[in-house]
Amino acid sequence: MTEQKKISPRRAFLLQAAGFAGAGSLGPLGAAAVEGAEPAPAPVPAAATPYQSLSPDEATFIEALVNVLCPADEYSPNGVDCGLAIYMDRQLAGPYGKGDGRYLRGPFRSAKPELGLQSPLTPEQLCKSGIAAANAASIRDRGRPFDQLAVAEADDFLKDAQSDRVRSDGVSLALWFNEVIYRLFVEACFADPMYGGNRNAVFWKMIGYPGLPATHALDMVRYRGKPYPGANTPKSIADFT
Amino acid sequence: MAKKLPRRSVVIVGGGLCAGLVARQLTAKGIQVLVLERGGDHALGPEATLPNQRDELRWDRRQGLMQDWARETYTLRHSRADESLPIRWMEAFLPGIGVGGAASHWNGCAWRWSEYDPILRTRYESRYGKAAIPADMPLQDWGTTYGELEPYHDLFEQLFGLAGKAGNIKGTIQPGGNPFEAPRRGEYPQKPLEMSEAGIIFQQAAEGLGFKPFPQPAANSPQHYVNPDGQRLGQCQYCGHCERFVCEAHAKATPDTLLYPMLRERPGFEIRTYAHVLEVGYDRRAKRATGVRYLDLKSGEEYEQPADIVVMAAFTMSNTRLLLLGGIGEPYDPATRRGNVGKNFCYQTSSGVGVFFKNRWINPFLAAGASGTVIDEFNNDNFDHSALPFLGGASISAAVTNGRPIRTRSTPPGTPRWGTAWKKATADWYAHSFSVGAQGSCYPHRENFLDLDPDYADTYGQPLLRMTFDFRENEIRMSDWVTRKAAEICKAMSPDSMGPVAGRAGPFDTRQYQTTHVTGGTVMGAEPKSSVVSPHLQHWDAENIFVVGASVYTHNSGYNPTGPLAALALRLGDDLVRYVERPRML
Repeated sequence: MTEQKKISPRRAFLLQAAGFAGAGSLGPLGAAAVEGAEPAPAPVPAAATPYQSLSPDEATFIEALVNVLCPADEYSPNGVDCGLAIYMDRQLAGPYGKGDGRYLRGPFRSAKPELGLQSPLTPEQLCKSGIAAANAASIRDRGRPFDQLAVAEADDFLKDAQSDRVRSDGVSLALWFNEVIYRLFVEACFADPMYGGNRNAVFWKMIGYPGLPATHALDMVRYRGKPYPGANTPKSIADFT
Repeated sequence: MAKKLPRRSVVIVGGGLCAGLVARQLTAKGIQVLVLERGGDHALGPEATLPNQRDELRWDRRQGLMQDWARETYTLRHSRADESLPIRWMEAFLPGIGVGGAASHWNGCAWRWSEYDPILRTRYESRYGKAAIPADMPLQDWGTTYGELEPYHDLFEQLFGLAGKAGNIKGTIQPGGNPFEAPRRGEYPQKPLEMSEAGIIFQQAAEGLGFKPFPQPAANSPQHYVNPDGQRLGQCQYCGHCERFVCEAHAKATPDTLLYPMLRERPGFEIRTYAHVLEVGYDRRAKRATGVRYLDLKSGEEYEQPADIVVMAAFTMSNTRLLLLGGIGEPYDPATRRGNVGKNFCYQTSSGVGVFFKNRWINPFLAAGASGTVIDEFNNDNFDHSALPFLGGASISAAVTNGRPIRTRSTPPGTPRWGTAWKKATADWYAHSFSVGAQGSCYPHRENFLDLDPDYADTYGQPLLRMTFDFRENEIRMSDWVTRKAAEICKAMSPDSMGPVAGRAGPFDTRQYQTTHVTGGTVMGAEPKSSVVSPHLQHWDAENIFVVGASVYTHNSGYNPTGPLAALALRLGDDLVRYVERPRML
């Protein structure tokens, strides 16, 4: 890989919108989508769906992140085109992001990881604090914000973060990545498409999960030990509403 | 000031399985029952109807049917030397909320325990000598026997339409069943569920090694079923949305399907939903419960509900907490070993080994909650411990319960967590893998106990319950040994690859679901000096308080705990009929 200057699709869009469109406006993270083997059926361009929780800079970060976690390849379009960034934004803006169901009374103390997240921040606040801290660490250690790292370098950065090898003030980037980002990423891939991720049930098709209605009383015997035909055409809750 | 309500005969705290069974027996004899349930009714909600029932994110990942941790959680420390902290979002175990309780979102694995479980201390002492039980392991007999509970096991199995294959009918071992099963009077009410592909693979390997695999007893109905009360179950759809979900097909036997609709038609039965019990009133001098104080969440009003009899049938943790909050009985102190409330808090010691087959279609989404195939050779004391450095054991099973893709995706060891290689492995193995699980016993330890947390309170201002718990040496050794046994079966399947072979070890991790089977805290026994309730579940310090649920277990076994607690609840219902006629220590 020779290209060093990396620009996420959202950054490219913002630059274009601001009149800075240039030859390099589609960096490798975006270009990979063009090279992807199986184009998704007319994905809505990410920029056309407004974000509810993420600021433009935060969205730039998250879009770059989901394209590293989910590059375009023979299995799926890139993370943005699979709706992963939109999913994460919607969750952060909603009850999960606001800390619904989390016990948030004090006193707050640090704890062994087995006791779970002890942060007084809501998941949305924690996610955003982590984005800022990760970007600061990326600039400090690698000279550029996260979304401008080469794909391999961004991948290394996230591996370092998950293993608690990236120093940061305040927010633990290991907790941020493992307890918030990675969990949201997995949900974005595999939750029902009605939540905005897993666009066109691309990940359900990838693994062969048939989705709804799942009334398998006969299938249990008929397809025991055999390929299940409905696995190629998974159905969402939205298909029954 | 709480508003005082007219006196009631029997008030039951918690509207779950035990309350439903107790109320069934009482109302059948014309005795009035009032149930107070802190949650609402699931029957008509999106959780009980298609298509939204099939929403893994909402009901499973976001725990839409579970206790709201924002309102009430538990605190944890791994030892008395640690500082306790609140579990701000619990994954390890999942108390339910609403009519049906945790038995509404259960998988439906419905075992009888070993014939010797109620006399486990006697069993180990007689087989291996008194010195075999470590000093820090307070095993106790229950003060009752399997034989006394057997008729109630049978009644529960008829009511809940259990599907299974008998292994021991009146002492005669039956082919195809569990040869270690406690003797039963007859076959299960229904034939077993369809065996999964994983079950077939497991069965062949286990039989090849000389074991006796059998279908897990299941409260998922393979056919339409009408129980002795005329209540109906639908046919299981093998939809893979059982545990953590409400069954929209009414094929999973639950209190909200089989008990509460019937009870609501009976004269003398009342259930108040969104009624959160704050305290069991206790007259220390008279050594009697006076009733309960509860918050009506709908109006925000507090009520005092006087009662002749209070039955505590809330979740394990809540039963213990309410006794501690009410100052009823002496709290357990591990330093002095005085007191009984909160002691013998147990969990289960679970582990699993993944297996991967390129050319076998496991199709994990074709699954019922309890359609497992099991061997019992290495459970509890079904094998000789004389040369082993531990007591207890585990059931070993291929129990594919679901293929819900956020949770259930196995990849072989060495697979990265993201990127193209992760996608490839996930795509390659999702439909071609399963896990052989070991559901291990957890015996009591002097230092595993419950008390009230000194620092943290719930949303109503009351102290949270504190767990002092970790996996101790006995359980770690047992799990290591049993997990190796599971791995031997896995190897005999000749899989293309296998996951790591690792028993359960500490520290107890709240971030990982293991099982909802927490037990103990209000243990039963024949002696007031070592138990909270009598063998008839009557509180030793208040004859009109009865406690029922897994909180009365003195240890946890390698089986799901529902069967014996259902039998105990039905028997309690009959005991209460006698008590109402003539109140006394039973």
